Formats: sequence, structure tokens, C-alpha cells
Amino acid sequence: MTLNLSEKEMRVLEELAEKKELSKTGVMKLALRLLQSVDARVDLGSKLFIENEATREKSELVIL
Amino acid sequence: MNESAVHLLETGSGEMVEAVFVAEVSEEHLEMWSQTWLPIMKERFFCRSYAGPEDAHWNWKAKAQEIRGLLKYEICAVVCRQELQGLMLINNVASARLKDQFGKPLIYVEFLSTAPWNRPELKQPPRYRGVGSILIAAAIQASLDAEFKGRIGLHSLPKAEVFYEHKCGMTRLGFDSSHEGLLYFEMTPEQAAAFRRTTR
Repeated sequence: MTLNLSEKEMRVLEELAEKKELSKTGVMKLALRLLQSVDARVDLGSKLFIENEATREKSELVIL
Repeated sequence: MNESAVHLLETGSGEMVEAVFVAEVSEEHLEMWSQTWLPIMKERFFCRSYAGPEDAHWNWKAKAQEIRGLLKYEICAVVCRQELQGLMLINNVASARLKDQFGKPLIYVEFLSTAPWNRPELKQPPRYRGVGSILIAAAIQASLDAEFKGRIGLHSLPKAEVFYEHKCGMTRLGFDSSHEGLLYFEMTPEQAAAFRRTTR
């Protein structure tokens, strides 16, 4: 399988790979597992929130 | 490969015996849990003279049902002489909390159990030793396979804290109020390498 990414997407992929100490394949696999797990929860009626640990402020992450 | 050979110490004979590590449990293993572990756990859980195993309420069949089809989770097992000796549920979408590892991916051990007959508080002497180490080694291997460099994390039940801190050499990061007040541990790549050297 060939993955076609724009220049911008490729740059983000490379940044994430460096930050997470993963190969680009590793990042894509991690992203797939994460998206599947979130999607499964959303399908069951859950919402995904991001919480700021310091302020306890929560914001909802919209999943398509 | 789904299965690999591992070794347990049979305390009765003092001999190392061959066992099998199974990377992905089947219905057969869950049935073994239901038929052999569950009755003992239930009996001990309701025993008045003893507080009962801390994990007696863990329902492995229900857990397997919940995670079915999700790439994020895996349940593995240790089997010896056609008996289930250990179970572990890992989560491969988690990140490190340790300051110098913060945000880097790790394998989070959600649940880890050894058979009731392998626990000193339930059977003296325990039948086999080494199940917990085999499962932690498997979590480290899963971390290496996922390019996580051996990083793992877990919340420990109180009776297992000594095992994770001293036997596994993990770093304790304090009690976690968001996780039933359990003590949280992490293993760095260096600690994982050290653990693998000592258990080889």
C-alpha cells in the first residue's frame, strides 16, 4: 500500500515521528489504533474531552 | 507468532518446567479461567477470615468481550501443563508521565493476574513461580515491537507494589487519585533493558 500525503501532512508526520521517537509507520499505526478506539466509544454515545490538568478546564474534541 | 516457549519454576520439585506464552488468548483460555480460577476466587472472596484476592472481581470473559476487535488492546496468557497460569491485558495507546519520557508512547498494563494456586497468600507453597515476570517481559516485548523502546506503565494493586518496584525495577510515580488511589509505576527503556538482562 502506498500512502499519499501532502507536503504539510508529511511535515507533521515527520515532526510527530521525531517527538514520539517512532518511525513514520509507527506513527501511522498508533494513529489508526487511537482513531479506532475513539470511534468505537463515540459510536456507543461517548464524547471525547480534553482536560487542562492545571486549570481543570475541559473542551470537547469533535470527532467526525 | 502467537505462541512461544517460556519457563516457570515448579516449587514442589524445584525444577524449571516448560510453559507456553500465548500472545492472543482464545475462547479456550477464557473457559479455563471460568472453570478453574473463578470458583477459587469466588470462594476466597467470600471467606470471612481473609480479605480475599484484590483482583477477585476481575471478569476476564467480560473484558475480552469489551475489547473484541479493538487494535488498542491485547490479552495474552501463560499456560503450563494444560492449565492457565496467568493473564494480562495491555493497552498500546498510552503515553509516559515520567519527566524525561513525558508524552512518549508506552504499553500500559491494564490488568495482570496469576492463577490462584500460584499465590503465596492462597496456596503454600505456590505451585509455580515466575508468571508475573514472564508477563512483564511480554509487555516489554510488546513495547519494543511497537517501537516504544521497552517503556511500560501500570497502576499496581497494593499487594503487588513490592513486585513492581523491587523485582521489576520500575519507578513509582505516586498514588493516582484518578485511578482509585492506586500507585502508578513506569519502566524506562533503560529499566526495561535491565529487567530483560536479569530475567534472560
